[in-house]
Amino acid sequence: MTDRSKQITLSEAAEIIKDGTILSFSGFTIWRRPCALVYELIRQKRRHLHLIEVNSGPHSEFLIGAGCVDVWESCWIGHELYGKYGANLARKVRQKEIVYEDYSHAEMAFRFQAAASGMPFMATQTSLGTDIHNPEYDMLARAGLRNGKNPKIPRKKYEFVDDPFFGDGRQTLVPAAKVDVSVLAVQQVGEEGTVRIAGQFFTDPEVCRAADITIVVAEEIVPEDYLRRESHLNKIPSFQVDYVVEGPWGAHPTGMFGFYDVDGEFLRNFYMQTRSQEGFNEFAKEWIFGLNHDGYLNKLGVPRLARLKANTALHYSTRVERGKK
Amino acid sequence: MTSARDTAQPDEYTLADLMTVAAAREVRDHEVVFAGTGMPMISIMLAQKTHAPNLKLIFEAGTLDGRPRELPTSVGDPRCEVGASVASGLYEAFSIAQRGYVDLGFLGGAEVDEYGNVNTTSIGDYLNPLLRLTGSGGNPDINSFSQRTVYIMVHEKRRFPKHVSYITSPGWRVKKWPSGEWVHRRELYGSAFRGGPSAVISTAGVFRFDEETGRMYLETCHPGKTPEEIRELCEFDLDISRVIGETLAPTHEEIRLIHEVLDPEEIFLPRPKKRGSAG
Repeated sequence: MTDRSKQITLSEAAEIIKDGTILSFSGFTIWRRPCALVYELIRQKRRHLHLIEVNSGPHSEFLIGAGCVDVWESCWIGHELYGKYGANLARKVRQKEIVYEDYSHAEMAFRFQAAASGMPFMATQTSLGTDIHNPEYDMLARAGLRNGKNPKIPRKKYEFVDDPFFGDGRQTLVPAAKVDVSVLAVQQVGEEGTVRIAGQFFTDPEVCRAADITIVVAEEIVPEDYLRRESHLNKIPSFQVDYVVEGPWGAHPTGMFGFYDVDGEFLRNFYMQTRSQEGFNEFAKEWIFGLNHDGYLNKLGVPRLARLKANTALHYSTRVERGKK
Repeated sequence: MTSARDTAQPDEYTLADLMTVAAAREVRDHEVVFAGTGMPMISIMLAQKTHAPNLKLIFEAGTLDGRPRELPTSVGDPRCEVGASVASGLYEAFSIAQRGYVDLGFLGGAEVDEYGNVNTTSIGDYLNPLLRLTGSGGNPDINSFSQRTVYIMVHEKRRFPKHVSYITSPGWRVKKWPSGEWVHRRELYGSAFRGGPSAVISTAGVFRFDEETGRMYLETCHPGKTPEEIRELCEFDLDISRVIGETLAPTHEEIRLIHEVLDPEEIFLPRPKKRGSAG
């Protein structure tokens, strides 16, 4: 039996994400980010989002630049070698227009693992002695957001305990990363929601399970039978996925293992152009507003997309220009 | 190991080449090495192709024991996974590191203090920053979990301050919260203590740390720099009493590997200008 009722459009998917949603994403820095859906959220003028991410990247720079985000909770934002930091977050931080909360990368991964397993917290020994644990720097508390009104926001940033079992000294308890909606960009999803991820899966299974609602934007929707013939290659079971969207090139300008490379030129231009709000507004006018996903791909053009297209043997493009040579 | 006639002349390599090679020499064969993006990746792959063919490479995004054919532009890159033992995820990579498998981490930073505390988060008061940077990424995790950590940094006086604006990644003397008193890293980490920053390779020299006092000292100066000049490039009082000489220059073979095999596309490392060429 197949369940086609999960299939929706990009614009319907964006409508599921309401103002004020605690939102998370698939991927890693500049790889497999659901940018097509992010652009749609910006077109629909979503506001007051709380982003909670293992690590961040261009997709969040789009949302932050467009004024969609009130809270950014993560450990890193930038464009790797195509832009040395997140200029939009940096601007909003300087202008005090966003609440930022810094954990370490492993702490964020462990927070998602806790949420994904139904645990309230996990214990770790990372980052002891750093300002990540400076009690003055609990930014959600400073913003009055740890008052229990939102049951998904923990009452504290972290807690120290002494290991009660083995006497192994100081441990940091980091709270579960509880998410309203997660959006994943992957290679293949079945009609019933089974997800196959090719290449490194980053923290996608945990990000999916940490959320109440998961939306999967896939390069291809494929028959469930096809995926179930080799179930050992699948990463997320059908029942953990609520909605599926077919969105080819849906992660551009980030990369998709086996399908296309990162569009470095696009990211470099975005980083340079959006260091001012005026620059961001011009970018959004050109690349987001007044276009739908087909219009966006049309504007990129076939030759550019063909250069990014991955070699089927190597899973990355051999034609994309990466350095000076 | 390196015969004198193989050593390149200063006009045959760039400062970045010198640093890459110095970093590669920090790797010992058979070690498990955790790599960040950029120059660290080239250093590790160089070590893999020279004196440490049996090193095991972990990429933060989830690739375990990678043997890339082409230089990845970041650790999420599909190029990481070619020839790897396992392609997995972050939880796997960080759990393995916390479990204690990692010998050496390679990282960068915007600021470093006398005790090896590194900042990659923001410049100025954290609550009212002059400049917001990328944030920690895996810097404090790789550093906390590894036995040794090597930092590769641009050397400017403001980047070697008395105190960093924000301690993103722990050095040898760190803050014990909630009071914030300074303690030796060993005391705070207890049985989770494995080591700490073992070298800083800057654009001026190579620095190490006295593990008891936690203080940084200058070990070698890059060609053309004096210890006194380098001390002037630090806002803290740099110990220059333990200098052993000049940083070893790259060999011709190392330069060839960097520019013809590892980064022929000049993604991270531009080629040295040819002798006698204009500009």
